[in-house]
Amino acid sequence: MFYVPLSSQPAIDITKLVQKKLGQDVICKQAVECVRIDEGKRFLRYAAIVERSREHGLFIFTSSRIPCLQSSDLSLEVIIAVDSGFRHKADYHLHLRSADKHVLLELPRLDTSTAFLTKIVSLTKDRKQTFQWLEKYRRECQVFDETDSRTSNSSNPFADDVFDPLRHVSQSQGVTQAKTAGSRQTTWYEDSTPIASQPTASNSALQPSHRSASRDSLDKSVNTYEEFTDSMESVQKQLGISWSVEFNSAEKPASSREKFVRQFLIERENEFTNVQYLKVFCGTWNVNGRSPLEPLNKWMVVDNEPPDIYAIGFQELDLSKEAFIFADSPKEAEWQDAVMSYLHPKAKYKKVKSVRLVGVLLIVYIQEKHVPNISYIDSDSVPTGIMGILGNKGGVSIRFTLYSTSLCFVNSHLAAHQDEFERRNSDYRDIMSRTRFKQFEPPLEISEHDIVFWIGDLNYRIDLPIDEVRTCIKKEMYTRLLEEDQLYGLLQASSDVFKGFEEGTPKFDPTYKFDSGTNNYDTSEKNRVPAWCDRILWRGPNVKQHRYNSHPQLRISDHKPVSSLFTVGVRVIDQKLYKKVYEDIMKHLDRLENDYLPQIKLDKTECVFKDVKFIESQSQVVTVVNIGQVPVEFEFINKLDDPTYCKPWLKATPSKHYIQAGSCCEVTVEVYVDKATVAKLNSGEEKLEDILVLHLAGGKDSFITVSGNFLSSTFGSSIEALVQMHGPIREVPVADLLEIEQPGSLNRLDIAQDGGRLYMVPKEIWKLVDFLHRNGLDKEDLFQQPGRNSEIQLIRDCLDTGKPDRIPDNLSVHSVAEALLMFLECLAQPVIPFNLYSQCMASCNNLMLSKQIVSHLPDCHKNTFLYICAFLRELLQHSAKNGLEPKFICIMFGEVMLRPPPLSTPNKGQASVKDRRSRLREEETKKSAFVYHFVSQDLNL
Amino acid sequence: MAREYDHLFKLLIIGDSGVGKSSLLLRFADNVFSGTYITTIGVDFKIRTIDINGERVKLQIWDTAGQERFRTITSTYYRGTHGVVVVYDVTSGESFANVQRWLHEIDQNCDVVNRILVGNKDDDPERKVVLTQDAQRFAERMQIQLFETSAKENKNVEEMFNAITRLVLESKRKMQDEARKQPTNTIRVGPSAAAKKKQKCC
Repeated sequence: MFYVPLSSQPAIDITKLVQKKLGQDVICKQAVECVRIDEGKRFLRYAAIVERSREHGLFIFTSSRIPCLQSSDLSLEVIIAVDSGFRHKADYHLHLRSADKHVLLELPRLDTSTAFLTKIVSLTKDRKQTFQWLEKYRRECQVFDETDSRTSNSSNPFADDVFDPLRHVSQSQGVTQAKTAGSRQTTWYEDSTPIASQPTASNSALQPSHRSASRDSLDKSVNTYEEFTDSMESVQKQLGISWSVEFNSAEKPASSREKFVRQFLIERENEFTNVQYLKVFCGTWNVNGRSPLEPLNKWMVVDNEPPDIYAIGFQELDLSKEAFIFADSPKEAEWQDAVMSYLHPKAKYKKVKSVRLVGVLLIVYIQEKHVPNISYIDSDSVPTGIMGILGNKGGVSIRFTLYSTSLCFVNSHLAAHQDEFERRNSDYRDIMSRTRFKQFEPPLEISEHDIVFWIGDLNYRIDLPIDEVRTCIKKEMYTRLLEEDQLYGLLQASSDVFKGFEEGTPKFDPTYKFDSGTNNYDTSEKNRVPAWCDRILWRGPNVKQHRYNSHPQLRISDHKPVSSLFTVGVRVIDQKLYKKVYEDIMKHLDRLENDYLPQIKLDKTECVFKDVKFIESQSQVVTVVNIGQVPVEFEFINKLDDPTYCKPWLKATPSKHYIQAGSCCEVTVEVYVDKATVAKLNSGEEKLEDILVLHLAGGKDSFITVSGNFLSSTFGSSIEALVQMHGPIREVPVADLLEIEQPGSLNRLDIAQDGGRLYMVPKEIWKLVDFLHRNGLDKEDLFQQPGRNSEIQLIRDCLDTGKPDRIPDNLSVHSVAEALLMFLECLAQPVIPFNLYSQCMASCNNLMLSKQIVSHLPDCHKNTFLYICAFLRELLQHSAKNGLEPKFICIMFGEVMLRPPPLSTPNKGQASVKDRRSRLREEETKKSAFVYHFVSQDLNL
Repeated sequence: MAREYDHLFKLLIIGDSGVGKSSLLLRFADNVFSGTYITTIGVDFKIRTIDINGERVKLQIWDTAGQERFRTITSTYYRGTHGVVVVYDVTSGESFANVQRWLHEIDQNCDVVNRILVGNKDDDPERKVVLTQDAQRFAERMQIQLFETSAKENKNVEEMFNAITRLVLESKRKMQDEARKQPTNTIRVGPSAAAKKKQKCC
């Protein structure tokens, strides 16, 4: 059995359409359907490799119709020159980058995609080229290329059809995770080792959402692409890895059904996910190398309700030289202990992880009750200090997945000093691009998280004279200060630095720089301008800030600590609802699949034929209607171990056919009993009963029952039975017929005693011969011209019913002559019975032996044989008029009176057609030789 | 996620004409029920994918004509079947009496197959003539699990198909386990064995 695949439509040849679109100047090597991911949105696109004079470009088209059906549907969107300057990176997606463009594509997981990738990879070996020809096409697509995604969005009426990548990537995987969340083992350690086990090959399919796609994920310096070699193997390996990450078993290709399951789950995400709101506390403090000598509760406990998550960041934890040179710092333990002891007293916490880079320390705690729902904890640190290597400056990050939402906390200490604005910006870029959570394959980046908190001593200053700043502080004119705040400026102007991040308005005094131990701004000779160096920023949906404060009560450092309290919405999958939706989707798809199975309806499943007669065809029409949604191919198939699909007297036309959906086909079911099948039906050995099995390719089987009653005929009866029959056969009760047709019925006692009641020869043969005797002795071409079918049927009725008693004289002699031959040929046992056939063949040239055989025949057979021969002799006496020759007549009658037993005739497989023909000719000669003995003379047996 | 299914099983529904074989299938596969009776003249199938302990099982369920005159033809459809659902009608004593014959039919046509006994149309206590305890006794004697269902009221249909699928899954496990054990019991013959022998001779 095979199924009609869901996508039963023949695939449209995109390559051809693109070729047609671009004209003959260029050659479209291959085109594939793909999804372009831009600004977090997904768009269906077609990507094509286009060649002109050995230079290659990657053309990306939009289509006004999905799927694209003709070339006019396509419009050019982007072109990327493919040569050695072309970069690609393949993970979940295919990142493509040329000198001036980058594009993120997702290719369907098909063989064609692999071929496409392979081709692209091989082309990147091309030397740097000019690509002047591309300019012409570039102009065409500029409109789309340069505008932002919203514009191209509106130009694509199908933009809403495609799904959001953020949901696509994170949710579909999140779903898988959730599905098995109950069984997942989460290990927990108090120390800094990760809470959750790393994704291994075996459970990698359960990997939840870690990535939230956004434009920033593309903002990688070209350098990062260098990490990926251009070799084909590497790309395939990359693909292989990422595919196996997503798919449990690499051997099974992604089915189209799977795509639907995923898509439906995404569409119905809201039905099985809830947003749960958690309180997140973020705190940052540059402690200037001091020890925690003050209680921290004023800073860390800001609300009556305990936060769910604590993220505490320190800078300048340890300013000693040892801290630079040696990995451990005694200060870390002090601060760790301090933080632990000042966590909110109303809840129990567990440490998620902590990470330190020299003086930059980040500690994350979570309430114990959330532990089972946290996974994939990882951390990284990026030094940006002197030479970009030393850890006096830099960033540390901790990431984890809570339920189905990925969170990332970054604590950074950026470059100091009023004038080092650009340095700070470049530190940010460095941390953003170089942070890699290596537990993932490929490593995860900060930008790929749903929610990011960025805290720390960011060191951005206020560009105002010191006096003005101090005055503003006194008057709490924070707005004025903010206007000149460097970071505020960055956030307002959509700079690439801290892109997408938000900050609450600081309504507290600048936190830098104080005389340690006081609340007085710097009185040293350096006379620093006060600034909001210590900041808390966030990025991502469902984040709400409740408090944003500094804590001047803490005085040990030259910075004041800053804190912020948020509520954060995380997506939580409701297992029960998820299961319900999932099952619902499976059912829906099953139903679709069932709907797409071939379906037909028959207008009748039973054909009853009444009074079927010998050599008279009857037929009925069965209409096969295709009521399904796909074309069907039906065929009558053999049942059980039968060699053919029906009995030899039955035929269905057409026996195999193709019907379009909604159309129908008329099948003619015909019953025709001929000389080959009549004998067994006459004797009752077989009945007019059969079942036709109409099979649909990839679908069901329907049965058509065929039945009928056969009117017994003298044609196909046996000589033995015929000589016992006094009246016409139709008047003989069926039971009696069956009895007299039994072999050896003539030897029964009652018949032996009453021998006189038997006919010498069957009266039907006598009637036929009598007619010919009366009307045909002088007829030219006797036995050579065919008779008329209708007349032969009349003769049949006359013989079978006895009405009229004599064959009417107005019938054609030729019809009667043919009927006679047919009658002899149909006899259940030939005139010379089967068992004597080979003996006759062997002795055909020997008169004595031939005579012996005939004299030993059963009486009725012998009489019939001699009667026929006598008639033939008489015919030959009239040869002057009827033109019959002995040779012809002997061949003719030899064939019908001497028939090989049914089992000896089957053509042996090995015998060639030529051999068989020559054997038949030989047998024909022998048969006629045998008959000739008796036709040439009256042997007086 | 990319798997279409972990297992593909063929199930067969047999039983007297009119006991509700097609209705059970229609209810299970398409979750519909039609009160009008259409005799199945032929053999039809539908698919349904279910989840058993986190494993995705795709079922191809064959519904056969129950009429006596098709008995010989329908027997050919037993080939390759993993599980058979034998259905009788709880309102028809005759259909229950014929269960024995249907079970015999399974023995005749399948080597090892998982079976389940289903008394359908269990939705009108007044018309019920095959009592649960009688059917249960019979089922125990035949070592076959009994389910009383109603395709009309969608009663026990899912449970019944889940049960037969579990049976098939279990027997597949067992066979796999046995296959895994087998190699240790067999003696290896062939070139490697011959080579060893040679070494010994030397």
